[in-house]
Formats: sequence, C-alpha cells, structure tokens
Amino acid sequence: MRLTKPVFRGDRRSFLRSGAGVLGVGGLLLSAPSLLLARQPWERLDVVRELLDGSEPSTTGIDLDLPLVSEDGSSVSLSVSVDSPMSDDDYVESIHVFGAGNPNPEIAAFRLTPAAGKAVVATRVRLNESQTVIAVARTSRGEMKVATRDVRVTVSGCLSRNGDSSAMGLDNPRVRVPPNPQAGNPAEILTLINHPMETGLREGEDGELIPKRIVERFQVELDGDPVFEAELYQAVSANPYLRFHVKPRAGELRFSWTEDTGETVEVTETLDPA
Amino acid sequence: MSHITLVLWFALGVGLVFGVVGQRTGFCLTGGLRDWLLDQDGRRVRAFALASAVALVGTQTLEALGYVSLGRSLYLQPSFSWLLLPLGGLLFGYGMVAANGCGARSLVLLASGNLRAFVVLICLAIGAYMVLSGLLAPLRLWLAALSSVAPPVAPLSLSGWLGQYVGAVPGRWIAVSLVALPLLAFSLGNARFRHSPRDWLGGVLIGGLVPVGWFITGYLGADDFDPVRLVSLTFVAPIGDSVQYVMLSTGTALDFGVTVVAGVLAGSLVAALLSRSFHLQGFDSPQRMLRSMAGGLLMGVGGGLALGCSVGQGLTGMSTLGLGSFLAIGGILLGAVLGLRGPLRLPRL
Repeated sequence: MRLTKPVFRGDRRSFLRSGAGVLGVGGLLLSAPSLLLARQPWERLDVVRELLDGSEPSTTGIDLDLPLVSEDGSSVSLSVSVDSPMSDDDYVESIHVFGAGNPNPEIAAFRLTPAAGKAVVATRVRLNESQTVIAVARTSRGEMKVATRDVRVTVSGCLSRNGDSSAMGLDNPRVRVPPNPQAGNPAEILTLINHPMETGLREGEDGELIPKRIVERFQVELDGDPVFEAELYQAVSANPYLRFHVKPRAGELRFSWTEDTGETVEVTETLDPA
Repeated sequence: MSHITLVLWFALGVGLVFGVVGQRTGFCLTGGLRDWLLDQDGRRVRAFALASAVALVGTQTLEALGYVSLGRSLYLQPSFSWLLLPLGGLLFGYGMVAANGCGARSLVLLASGNLRAFVVLICLAIGAYMVLSGLLAPLRLWLAALSSVAPPVAPLSLSGWLGQYVGAVPGRWIAVSLVALPLLAFSLGNARFRHSPRDWLGGVLIGGLVPVGWFITGYLGADDFDPVRLVSLTFVAPIGDSVQYVMLSTGTALDFGVTVVAGVLAGSLVAALLSRSFHLQGFDSPQRMLRSMAGGLLMGVGGGLALGCSVGQGLTGMSTLGLGSFLAIGGILLGAVLGLRGPLRLPRL
C-alpha cells in the first residue's frame, strides 16, 4: 500500500500536467510571446515570482551546491554562496531557498548583515522527489541573483534508519566557534540542535497525522547586533544544521532557536579573535 | 585536515592493503569453497574463516572499548527482511561461482589484467543499482515491506539476544566465543593451513581491516555536526557508487566505500606489476562472457537485496553479530555450494 501511493500520485500529476498541456496549447495561441518567455524554472514558481517582483535576476555571482543524485531525500546537503564584498554599502541582505517539487516550496530564508563577512550558508534539507532547487539572493543595492540546481532523489537500500533520537522539543543545542579566529578573516560557525522538525504531513504509527512542530527561527547576535538569521520551514531536515560566517571581533555571540510553539533556547559563546 | 579528508586517506590505505594482500594471497571465498569441495584443498576457505574470526574479535573489542557504537550500522537495524537477506545471499553466492569470484576478488583480478573481471564488475554495478535505486527497487521495497520482522531484541544481534538473559557484557563475549571458536577451530585446527603462511597471514590481515574500517568511520569520522556514515569493508554498493562517481563526480562527494574500491584497484595493480603477475586475459568464448555477465548481475542484484557481499556480510556484517547477517551468510554459502555441486552446478572453468 505504501509503495503504490507515490506511484499513483505521480500518475495523477502527469495526468494534470497533460491536461494543463491541452489548455496551454489554447493559451499559447492567445499569448504566445509571454508563455515563450516563461521558461526559467524560477518563473514557474509563484512564490519566487512574487519575491522577484518583476525584476530581472542575474544568474552570475551565486552558486547553489547540492549533490546531483541523493539517495536520502530526508537529508540533502545544501550550500549557497554569493560573491559579495559584504561591506556596509554592498552586502547580501537575504537568500531564499525553494524546492519546486516539495508540498510547500519554501525551504528556508536567510537574512545576512555586513557583520557576517561572507555570504556562504549551508544546511540540510528534505526533498520530496527529484526536482529543481532554486536560490534567490537579494543584495542591499536591490540586485537579485538566482541559481538553480536539479537534484535526482532515489530510494536507497543502504541507509540505516538512525534510530529516532529526536526528543520532542528543542534539545541539546551545539555550536562550534573557532577558538582563535583571524581578525579580518570571516570565521565559520557550525550549529546544530536536536529537533524532529515534524512536517505535519506525516502519519504516526496510529495512522493519525503527527501535528506540525518545527524550529521556525534561528538568530545570531554579536553583542546585541544582528549577524545572521534563518527562517526555517518544514523542508529543513530533522536536527536542523546551519553553517554561516561571522566577521571576528571580540564580543559575545548569542544564538537562539525558536520553535513554532514559541519556546526558545539560547546559547552564548565568546568570540575571541587572535 | 577535516575529519572527512582524514577518513578518505585512511580508506585509501585500507583499500591498498586489501589490494596488495588479496593479490598476493588469492584471498577468495569462491575459490576457497571450490578448492575445498572439489579439490580437497581447504586452505583458502580456512583463510576466509580465520579472517571472519579476526574481524569479529577485533570489532567487538573495539566496541567494548567504546570507540564505535555499531548500533548505528546497517547490520543492526531494528528490523530486517527474513526473505530478502537469505534470498539475496543465495543469488549472490550462485552468482559468485558463475562469475568465478566475488566483487572484491574481481577488483583484484581486474587490476591483475583479467578483463573478464571488468565485465563482471560493470554488470555487478548495474545489478546493484537496479535493485538499490533503479528498476527493481520498487520490487525490493515491496518484498521488504511484506517480509520485514522486528524481533524485540535491541540491538538485533546475537550478543543483544543473549544479553537479554545473561547481561550485556557476558552476552557479548559468549556470543563472540560461540561464533569465533568454531571458526578458529576450523581454520587453525588444520595443520596444512597452519603451515601455509600465505593463507593464514592473508586471513589475519584482511580480517583485521574490518575493525580498522569501523574505527575509521566510527571514530575518526565522528563529528557532532557532520558525522561520516558508519561503515566498514563491503563491495556491492561501493562498486556501483564507484561507477557512478566516475560519471558524476562534479555533483557527488567521495565516500569511504568508493575510496576503498580505488585503493583495492591501485594496491593490487602495484602488487601485480611488482610480482610480474600482470597478464592481460579476455574471454575465449561468447558463452564464457555470458556466464560472467550473468554472474555479475546476480551478484549485484543479490548483494543489493542481502545488504552485502561475501566480504560485506561474511566479514563485516558477521563482525557486528547482526542476526540478519547470519541469514545472509547462510544464503551466500548455500548459493555457492549449489553452484559447485548438485543438479544446479555450473561447469568448471
């Protein structure tokens, strides 16, 4: 039963797609020019079109890295890097990541500041099926940059179901800050927290939907100044992992994770540049 | 050096040692069973048994000392398929007789100039991927769902099961003795084997690589933020991964298994060249080629279903004492014996 479900869904989708195709041919005759232009993967996604708000994004200076083939759709490494001086008058303000083939296309949104020093962010995400992943970056000067990557998601026979160690709530937050970062060289920070990131789409053993429960916000401040912030959606893997940068200056880094229940966990670390 | 780079360098070392030792000693379960059943020469099969005992004792000692936690490995998952493990083993065992060597042996043979092994390996890789993620994967998942059992034992191993009655620590060592002592008696009890250093040394070295592999991925590869998957020597999925890696390396990351495969090829190539035993060989008939193709495909499909090959289940799976591994090894041995004797036996090459 479990096996036939996705197959059936695929059939329905392709049916819908062919139905849409028939309508599309009719539409094409009426509005051929606009349809011919609407070819880029990001133009097919409403949320991305909204974010771009009519501006023409550039596809250079941004790199989205995911494996071409992943045999574990529940945890796919993703990293985005944007070429930017990250200076006070020219920095990357936000990076949004979308998965066109997920039930909810939003994966995560990262907000950066010049204090980050480097626009490189990594996490692990859930991909429902083979699809195109899209990253959209906006700079402080209003430029938009887009990168896409096609990922094939397969099933696998060699996966160990790593026993559900996930406690229900926010548990065991971990942070790795380099002990003596070089001043002037953005320091790489790793963070991880135990959390099931329940999507609200999954059935428990009793056949009932498990209610949605996710970490929806992660914030980092250096002596009270915002450095980095992430909005997470259901498509971020269990035990959310985030890698980002901070420009070293002596001070106290405060990390906080907020659940959709409102519960918050904080960790502080001293940043002590060499 | 990041922990991942460290793991890969050590994996290369493991592969090189396996390649050199495999090339110089002819370590091979297929050949061992054939020599033993048909030629009354049990040295090579005893080398395999000794390797299995060394792998088991080494691995269990490693876990008892707290370096690795095998519960995270593939072999000790909370459920297994009572159907696919023995069935896959059976196909693998028969396939390795048809192909005249298992996956690891074929890597060594290829690097010694045996181009028949190339055909075996390509078919093995395709077969493995067909059943792991390709055409046959839906069938595998369906059968696995039908036949999955989850006995109330944690971890699902002989030691875990005995541990329920006598406590975890005695359970582990009683289980180790129950398995290792017969293997040691079978191998070291034979005078001819004891007087053949090539064989016992090969068994000790290759068996010893299994705990080394666990140590590399489980201890050197441990990281709070980005742990390496806990694995040790196995050759079905990694041969498929290696073929995929050479084609998609810009979009995939090197892992332990692929690096070991590369190391085995390099190590046995060097050993073959230095010992002047590198000879190019091909097929002398299309029938022989068909047999190699079928053998490779059976090994890939069977190994994919059984979660491992003669090395992956016979040495590595066995070293965890996983109950599923016993089923898989039973299947592999039965399949190999069917290929060597009885009504289904394959003609001798």
